[in-house]
Amino acid sequence: MRIPELTLPAAMASLLGRLPATPPCWALVTTLNQLKKRDILPADMSLLAGHSFEVHVQDAGLRLGFCADEQHFKVASVGTAPDLRLSANLADFARMMLREEDPDTLFFNRKLIIEGDTELGLIVKNLLDSVDWSSTPLQRFMAV
Amino acid sequence: MPATRPLPELVCPAGSLPALKAAVDNGADTVYLGLKNDTNARNFAGLNFDDRTAREGIRYAHQHERKVLLAINTYAQGGDISRWHRAIDEGAELGVDAIILADIGLMEYARRRYPALRLHMSVQSSATNYEAINLAQELFDIRRAVLPRVLTLDQVKQVIDHTRVEIEVFGFGSLCVMVEGRCLLSSYATGESPNSHGVCSPAKFVRWEHGSQALGARLNGILIDEYQQGEAAGYPTLCKGRFEVEGDTYYALEEPTSLNVMAMLPQIIDIGVAAIKVEGRQRSPAYVAQVTRTLREALDAAGREPQRFSVKPGWTQALSKLAEGQQQTLGAYNRPWK
Amino acid sequence: MNTLQLTLGPVLFYWSRDDILRFYSEAADWPLETIYLGEAVCSRRQQLRGQDWIALGKELAESGRRVVLSSLALIESESDLRRLRKLVENGELQLEANDLGAARLAQQQGRPFVAGHHLNIYNADTLALLQSLGARRWIPPVEMDRDTLAAVLQQFSRTGQPIETELFAWGRLPLALSARCFTARHYNLSKDDCQFRCLEHPDGLRLNTREQQAFLTINGIQTMSDGCHSLLPHLAAIAAMGVQALRISPQWQHTAQVIAGYQQAIQALHSPLHTDIDLAPYADSRLVDGYWRGEAGIAALGETHHAHS
Repeated sequence: MRIPELTLPAAMASLLGRLPATPPCWALVTTLNQLKKRDILPADMSLLAGHSFEVHVQDAGLRLGFCADEQHFKVASVGTAPDLRLSANLADFARMMLREEDPDTLFFNRKLIIEGDTELGLIVKNLLDSVDWSSTPLQRFMAV
Repeated sequence: MPATRPLPELVCPAGSLPALKAAVDNGADTVYLGLKNDTNARNFAGLNFDDRTAREGIRYAHQHERKVLLAINTYAQGGDISRWHRAIDEGAELGVDAIILADIGLMEYARRRYPALRLHMSVQSSATNYEAINLAQELFDIRRAVLPRVLTLDQVKQVIDHTRVEIEVFGFGSLCVMVEGRCLLSSYATGESPNSHGVCSPAKFVRWEHGSQALGARLNGILIDEYQQGEAAGYPTLCKGRFEVEGDTYYALEEPTSLNVMAMLPQIIDIGVAAIKVEGRQRSPAYVAQVTRTLREALDAAGREPQRFSVKPGWTQALSKLAEGQQQTLGAYNRPWK
Repeated sequence: MNTLQLTLGPVLFYWSRDDILRFYSEAADWPLETIYLGEAVCSRRQQLRGQDWIALGKELAESGRRVVLSSLALIESESDLRRLRKLVENGELQLEANDLGAARLAQQQGRPFVAGHHLNIYNADTLALLQSLGARRWIPPVEMDRDTLAAVLQQFSRTGQPIETELFAWGRLPLALSARCFTARHYNLSKDDCQFRCLEHPDGLRLNTREQQAFLTINGIQTMSDGCHSLLPHLAAIAAMGVQALRISPQWQHTAQVIAGYQQAIQALHSPLHTDIDLAPYADSRLVDGYWRGEAGIAALGETHHAHS
């Protein structure tokens, strides 16, 4: 599956931006906790605990805030400066998740913006890289 | 003669289990990896292998008849070096096909404890000449040496002609402009270097400053570079920053560039290089997959018809996308670069 | 507590033949235990050739100095190896091996040698191994901090085979070596046609950050610190550790004053009188000692430089 080069129209961003971010954020956190529970996401929570994160989907105007404790990921409010913010367009996030594109490549090309604690960013990047999707139904979508 | 030369092994990096599988699935002959501590030179948080993933990775590679190398390529520090000894013990116990070592004191330990274990001399040993390599061969029976990225192709040949040790060279990846194992720039700025901590310009010292005009990259407070809007950024590796010398601001040491030896593959095969290494254990499975696939294709093509070999535009395109700074060079193999 | 000795490291910059000869005619009178001679940085630097260095060394040795020939640190070509063999086979002067290949040649000749800081000795096992090859003295990596060094020396002392330790104590720190020449690069010249522009920069070329912080020094294929490393404030602890010698790295001016200052400070260690020696006027950059204190090497005397924490 190749993800086409597309950017969501600005109107969509302004529309989505006005919707409450809590449902998608809740979905993200639930997914993360599920993946962790099933040992698909090999997260060393001691490296993440006490930190706040924000995923900013630029073209969708969506900001998803969450944080981590020693056991779980939790929904967190957006607004205060997170310890780590990852910003990119939806298509680039999708490319990164499906391993069609290397996060470093996106970063070098300024398509992925990392703000805040650089080492935390590296931890998250390495965590995503270490997920073995071959044991999940997502496998058939993966580029690698 | 060229026709009788065996193809060099394609040695690919793995910072995680998915990266290892990506390397194997895309045609690597050999995969190299490190443990989750400062015994290896890519000691980054969240990267590398623990006992479980190492076992699973080795099983996967061996099932596909590929080899796994364990990099223990930092220098054992101070009075208590048991961590490095344990890493060697672990490698031997896991059944890796060879251990890559930088510190000659550790080579001595590995040889004494595990007489049958195959040892490689790491690029971090800074062995740039055959006398250095032959010393390690005589003392510890090392079977392969990885050459620092500073020699011309003629100099590589000179080494090969004067040693029984197999020679591995770098083929693709971020370019170290300094002799590996002989660069302390990182610890000068941060206190941590590849030799001592297994890191270069470590992320915990990096700060990105998102200004209104430019993106600033600082390492422990030291401004390594600034990028204007739309300008491609680079990780603030010290040697790849822009600095001012006598009024000129430029990449005073090296541009953010990747090494790519594809154009030289027939010559590399011809002089008898035993293995070609891809840099990048810190990179993602996507990178490993794309680089491995491309180099596999190129290497096979060069092996089939060395006389008619030419670099296909598709290969260049695939690799340049992944290259740091999106520029590629033949590096020191090509004299003018020096 | 043993008495610390002073040594003069090899000149790391490229000076003209006349300047080199003048420098060493003065150095012959300085209070030095050992003088290291030779080109350790760039094989293209040939104002003095191997034979010239050997002749100069023998001359200095006759005046009662211990003289050691420093090998090139980056040995790439067959001609580099040929020159190295000539140095090793001089028959009289010891070698400072700055490359494993150099250590091998010295060992094959059955000649004792000094294990230079480029040999990356970070632990007692590696030190013992080099000793078994013939090393009689070693210089720890310049980045090694005092706690690590103390641990290595303590561990090594259990072998019962003493070895001399010499520390890089003064000067711009030699940090990195490359196949590329950064001085030639600065002048848009190729390395093969560098026009020996290093001769114009007897203390190297200063490299600043984009906000004018003096950071590094370009010296041909070598990158050095801008800061001048100084272990002067730490002499008592160093002597107590069992270190024998302190290396002063030559600089274009005031090397004599630096050596005199160190000599005075060493003497003061054995006297109850308080002395206050300030060598800052003899350095043309900031004094740093971060490495010794386990900090970033760039940390100035007494300063903490961990901005991230």
